[in-house]
Amino acid sequence: MKTKVLILGVGNVLMGDEGVGVHVARALESHLWPEGVVVLDGGTGGFHLMEHLELADQVIMIDATLDHRPAGTVRRLRPRFAREFPKALSSHDIGLRDLLEGLTILDRMPEIILYAVSIDTVQSQTIDLSEELERVLDPLCADIRNFARSLIEDPTFCCDGYLDPIGEDEGRLYAHYDIHAKFQEP
Amino acid sequence: MAERLVIDPITRIEGHLRVEVEINDGKVTDAYSAGTMVRLLEEILKGRDPRDAWAFVGRVCGVCTTVHSLASVRAVEDALDITIPPNAELVRNLMFCTQYMHDHVVHFYHLHAMDWVDVVAALKADPKATSEIAQSISNWPKSSPGYFSDLQKRIKKFVESGQLGIFANGYWGHPAYKLPPEINLIGLAHYLEALEWQKEIVKVHTIFGGKNPHPNYLVGGMACAIGLDESSAINAERLAYVGQLLKDAKEFINQVYIPDLLAVAPYYLDWGAIGGGLGNYLVYGDMSANGYRDTAGYKFPSGAILNKDLSQVYEVDLREDAQVQEFISNSWYSYAEGNDVGKHPWEGETTLKYTGPKPPYEFLDVDQKYSYLKTPRWKGHAMEVGPLARVLVGYARGREDYKEVVDSTLSKLGVPATALFSTLGRTAARGLESILVADWAQEFFDQLIGNIRNGDTRMANMEMFDPKHWPAKAVGVGHTEAPRGALGHWIVIEDQKIANYQLVVPTTWNGSPRDHNGQRSAYESALLDTPVADPERPVEILRTIHSFDPCMACAVHLYDEEGKHLSRVSVMGD
Repeated sequence: MKTKVLILGVGNVLMGDEGVGVHVARALESHLWPEGVVVLDGGTGGFHLMEHLELADQVIMIDATLDHRPAGTVRRLRPRFAREFPKALSSHDIGLRDLLEGLTILDRMPEIILYAVSIDTVQSQTIDLSEELERVLDPLCADIRNFARSLIEDPTFCCDGYLDPIGEDEGRLYAHYDIHAKFQEP
Repeated sequence: MAERLVIDPITRIEGHLRVEVEINDGKVTDAYSAGTMVRLLEEILKGRDPRDAWAFVGRVCGVCTTVHSLASVRAVEDALDITIPPNAELVRNLMFCTQYMHDHVVHFYHLHAMDWVDVVAALKADPKATSEIAQSISNWPKSSPGYFSDLQKRIKKFVESGQLGIFANGYWGHPAYKLPPEINLIGLAHYLEALEWQKEIVKVHTIFGGKNPHPNYLVGGMACAIGLDESSAINAERLAYVGQLLKDAKEFINQVYIPDLLAVAPYYLDWGAIGGGLGNYLVYGDMSANGYRDTAGYKFPSGAILNKDLSQVYEVDLREDAQVQEFISNSWYSYAEGNDVGKHPWEGETTLKYTGPKPPYEFLDVDQKYSYLKTPRWKGHAMEVGPLARVLVGYARGREDYKEVVDSTLSKLGVPATALFSTLGRTAARGLESILVADWAQEFFDQLIGNIRNGDTRMANMEMFDPKHWPAKAVGVGHTEAPRGALGHWIVIEDQKIANYQLVVPTTWNGSPRDHNGQRSAYESALLDTPVADPERPVEILRTIHSFDPCMACAVHLYDEEGKHLSRVSVMGD
C-alpha cells in the first residue's frame, strides 16, 4: 500500500544527541496511527532509505543539526534541495544528501518536511540523550503526531500558507519557525 | 619548492578522513592520513549483554549496516562455541553477497566513478555515437540514441540549475580526465540506473533481516522463520523474489558494471603503475557453502602476501597473540603499558588521549600523534586489506575462478600482472570479485532452496542462548571480509557481560598513521609518487584514496567541528 506520510527519524544512536531522530522514531512507533502513516527508524541508512522515501507521498524527517543554535532548538523546515538539508550532520550526512540528490535527479523526490533539532557541536560518545534533548523529546513527539494527523486529513496542510509559530517551551529550547521563512523562492 | 596540501574531508560519503601530502616537483613525496573523529564504541559495549552487541555495532555505519552485526554474532558464537544451522549460514551468506554487490556498485558509480568520469563533459557527447559504443560493449537494452539524448537533456537542466552537488563539486574539466564525451555519458547514464538498481537489491536484507536499514541478526542463527505456506514467514513467494533479485543483480554486474569498467580502464592504463603502495596484502577469509567454520571451503580464502610475492601465501591466525596487534604510537590513545607496545585485540585498550592541535587548525603536527585511528599490524607488517588483497590471495592460491577473471581481464586490457599492484588494479579487483560474488550468491541460494525442499527449515540453535549455560569467562573472535576489507571483532565475556570488545576495521588497516617503527600504512604508502598536476584540484589523490573505498564511520565516530560537503584544499609553501 502506498505510504501517505512517512515519519522518518535518522541519526546515529551511538553518538548521543546525534541520534535524536531515531529516539523520536522509536517513541512514535508504538503510537496508534491512522492508515497510511508509516514510522521508520532510518538510523544511518543513507542509500538504503531510497525505497522507503520514494514510496511515500510526504515525508516528515527528523534529524539533528549542528547549526550553533542552542541545543534543543527545533525548527520545522521545508528544504527544496538536498543542499538545504542541514550540513554537519554526523557520519550519515553525506550519504543522506547524496540520496536526496539522487531522488531529485530521478524525479522521485517526495515532499519532505524536516524537523531539524539543534545539538551541541561537541558530544561525548553515549547512547543517551543529553538533558536538553530529553526535555524536548515529548513536546516534539506531540507536535509531530498533530502534524502528521493534519497531513493525513489534508495533504496540502503544510504547503498551504503560513504556519503559526506555536511558541516556545521554557524560553528558548523549543520553537517552531515558519516553514517558508528560511527558504524563499529565489 | 615543497608544498603541503590538505584535503579534509576526503570522503564523499560517510565520515571524516583527512589527508595531508607533501608535493615536490608535481609528485607526492610524503603523505599523512588521519582520522579526525573519535572512536569509543568499545566503551559503549562494555558491561552489556553480548547477545545485544550486534544491534549496537550495526549502527556504526550506514554503508555497511550488516557487516558489523555479522562479525559481532560470530564473535559471540565463537566465544560460546555455538554452531549455527546450515540454513542460517546460507542466509547470512546471501545477505552478505547482497551487501557486496550493493556496496561495490554504489562505490563504483556513486563514489569513485566521478574521479574518472567527467559528468559535465558528458553533455557534449553525440547520442548516436554513444549508443554505438554502448551496444558494442554490452547487450544491456537501455542503449538507444533516443535514450542517451533524453538523458542529456534532463541532466543539462540540473547542471544549469547548479543545485546538485554531484555536478557542482567535481573537478570537471581537469586535464586528468581522459574519457571521450560518449563514454562519460554512458558512465552518467549508469550512475542513474545504478541508483535505481541499488534500492531493489537491498530488499534481500528486508526479507531475511526483517527490516532495512539495520536488518536483524541473532546469536545462534538468524531471526527469520521459514514456512513455505505461511504468510508471515520466509515463504515460497518471498524466496522466489529473492531469487529474482539475485538474478537481476548478476545481470546488472555483468552487463553494466563490468563492461563500463573495461570501457573506462583503457584510457587510464597509466594508473596501472600508480598508487600501488605497500605490496603486502591481508585477507581473513569468508563465505563457505558449508558454514563459517569450514575455513578450507572459504570462497574468499584467507592468507597474507608480502612484498608482492604471489608465490607464497602465509597462513593467518586471528587468535595468536603475535599476529594481529594494534599500536598507538601515532594515535590519540594511551596504553597502560606505554606508548610503543602492540596489543592483541583480546587485550586491547581504548583510552582516549587527545594531544593534537585545537580545532580549527591549519596543519596537523605529524611529528606528534596525529590520528584517532590506531595502527594495526600483522606480525609487525603494514598490510593492505580489501578487494585487491582478496583477489590476489585467491589468485596466488591458484583458485580457478579467480584465475579466470583476472587473466581474462589482464589480456583484454593488454597489461602485465604487475598492473594489479596499483590504483587501477584495486578498482578493477572490486569489479572482478563482484563477478565472483554474483555467481556464489546463485550457488548459496540454490543450496538453501534444496535444504528447504528436503524439509530442513532450522534457522537457529538456541541451546546456548540462556546465559546460565555460559562459562564464567570466554573469549571469541568473529571475522568477515567486509566489502572494503578484512574485519574482525574480538570479545571477552566475563560473568555473562562484555568485559572487553575490540573492532579492528578495514579502514583502520588501510588508513592508519605510521607505526612505532615509522612504517607507513596503506593510504600513506600508496600516495607516494602520485603525480599531482594542479594542487588546487588534486583529483589524482582522490583517485588513489577512493580506490580503497574509505569508510571512516566505523573506524572513528563523531564530528568535532562543522563538516563541509566539499573537500577543502589548501596549498601552503613549506
